[in-house]
Amino acid sequence: MDLAMLKEYLPFLIPLVIAQLALGITALVHVLRHPHYRFGNKVMWACIVMLVQTIGPVVYFAFGRGEE
Amino acid sequence: MGILEIHQLSKRFGRHEVLNGLDMDVPEHSVFGFVGQNGAGKTTTMKIVLGLLKPDSGSVTVCGEKVAYGETKTNRNIGFLPDVPEFYGYMNPMEYLKLCGEITGLTKVKIKLRSEELLSLVGLKDQKKKISGFSRGMKQRLGIAQALLNEPKLLICDEPTSALDPIGRKEILDILLAVKGKTTVVFSTHILSDVERVCDRIAVLHSGKLALHGTLSEIKESHRHNGFVLEFSSDMEASLFENTEELKQPSISMSRNGNTVTAFVTDHDMGGHLLLGVLSQKRIVPLKFAVMEPTLESLFMEVVQ
Amino acid sequence: MRNYLAFLKKEIYEYTKTYKLLIMLMVFAVFGITNPLVAKLLPEILGSLKTEGIIMTLPEATAYDAWTQFFKNATQMGLIVMVILFSPVLSSELSRGTLINMLTKGLSRTVVILSKYTCMVVVWTISIALCFGLTYGYTVYLFPAGETANLLFSTFCLWMFGLFLLATLLLAATLTKSNYGCLLITGAVVVACMLVNIIPAAHRYNPISLATDNMGLITDDIEVSSLYCTILISCLLSFLFLTISVLIFRKKQV
Repeated sequence: MDLAMLKEYLPFLIPLVIAQLALGITALVHVLRHPHYRFGNKVMWACIVMLVQTIGPVVYFAFGRGEE
Repeated sequence: MGILEIHQLSKRFGRHEVLNGLDMDVPEHSVFGFVGQNGAGKTTTMKIVLGLLKPDSGSVTVCGEKVAYGETKTNRNIGFLPDVPEFYGYMNPMEYLKLCGEITGLTKVKIKLRSEELLSLVGLKDQKKKISGFSRGMKQRLGIAQALLNEPKLLICDEPTSALDPIGRKEILDILLAVKGKTTVVFSTHILSDVERVCDRIAVLHSGKLALHGTLSEIKESHRHNGFVLEFSSDMEASLFENTEELKQPSISMSRNGNTVTAFVTDHDMGGHLLLGVLSQKRIVPLKFAVMEPTLESLFMEVVQ
Repeated sequence: MRNYLAFLKKEIYEYTKTYKLLIMLMVFAVFGITNPLVAKLLPEILGSLKTEGIIMTLPEATAYDAWTQFFKNATQMGLIVMVILFSPVLSSELSRGTLINMLTKGLSRTVVILSKYTCMVVVWTISIALCFGLTYGYTVYLFPAGETANLLFSTFCLWMFGLFLLATLLLAATLTKSNYGCLLITGAVVVACMLVNIIPAAHRYNPISLATDNMGLITDDIEVSSLYCTILISCLLSFLFLTISVLIFRKKQV
């Protein structure tokens, strides 16, 4: 992809990146601040929420987070 | 008429019969101690009273209204503190009480007033922390606050003190004493000293029925054994007394433990006179001459055996 | 009514505080943006992979392709994410016992079920609207010439299927103790619906047609009127499931 194309798609990429980051960072903060998980450990969940886009945070909040 | 009446209540879980024709009557303005071993059916009884469990047979009346299983209107007169109260961890105490108030249908002003009043009563007034960060004792105290929010006529507490340290226990008992008079309190426990501290009436649940019930003094009165405890200053005096010929008769049985002699007699007055007569005849002055008082613990052991 | 509003408020507050609302919105926003983008880029990516000797004729992407992506993502990933996120709707409260305080305060069990359903419907509606809005905006931007038939109606069908799915989920939640059981039953119902759809005669009455006929609708291959019956049946089934949930929950030992 050249620069011109990148520029053309900027209106897509910016909100997309913001949405992905918002998800990833919320999940990451939660992973780091609540060190109790139903299974797995901190490093594993941190990797999952940051590296697996969109689905990672969903899986973490649905299955991985421990009780309050 | 009592504020809570339980009539011939039975409940079984599978083959295990928990309640077997339980009858109970809680008069208004009493602090009612509901005593029983672990697994005796205290929690089951309370859950049936709250309409959370379905009884196999029997009926429960709260303030003259019959409790229906599932959806029940009688709960508006009841405040309930579960054994391990659980809250929405993401709220703070004020938010939680506001939700409770809205659900019971208090007005906004009233909710605010009551919440502040109750939070200061239970010592959580300036607590802005989320409930998820609360200790066990704090949760228990918040539990009492939420139970008292709608000014219930009947407050039911399920083992409010069992899981707490001595200081936490004292705090909870003090709160219960403080609300006595405004509301009737029923609380279950297996800690007998708590019962003696705050209750004016008790009921002991054993094998699905009440093995014992009434006011504390009534129960002690009715279970008094005609016994006397005599304590002597020396071993010699004790053995001299114990071996007196006149006391060797079937209506008197004696046991000795060091300098203390316990004498059981068939008739309280006659036996007492006889013992005193022997003492004066032998010219012994005991350190102590007392009527034997049953302790709650000995009563409890007696009925659950 | 006051109880209902109070508990509904609590539900919405809970979804914000437990990040579930955020996740739903973000996931659907990501889909919303990705749909037209993928539609636009797919031919170009495939084009760049073109090697000598193989001639690929790739049609120019159109608005139709963007909406294909929308209905594919929303009906698959979107609904799956929604069901997963909502599956602990009752089990989390029942297993921890947070509901006991509420019920002993005189909260009616009917209200619990109804406000939970309302809250899920609200979240689902906002999410699908957000996704639709984003896809729509970007599609207009990328493919100005595009004109798509029955777009709103097709999306409405999808939304309707969401309502049916949520009612199923709630019924499943009252029947089981854990959220996994709830997921299992909901999944089983969807699979059963798919199997029934193999019979062509059943197609008109099967709620799942609302989520499978969307493409046909926007190409005008499927008549709008053919789905009226399905919509009616889905409404009735949702209502029935909700009523059964209430009846079961009213007699449930908690």
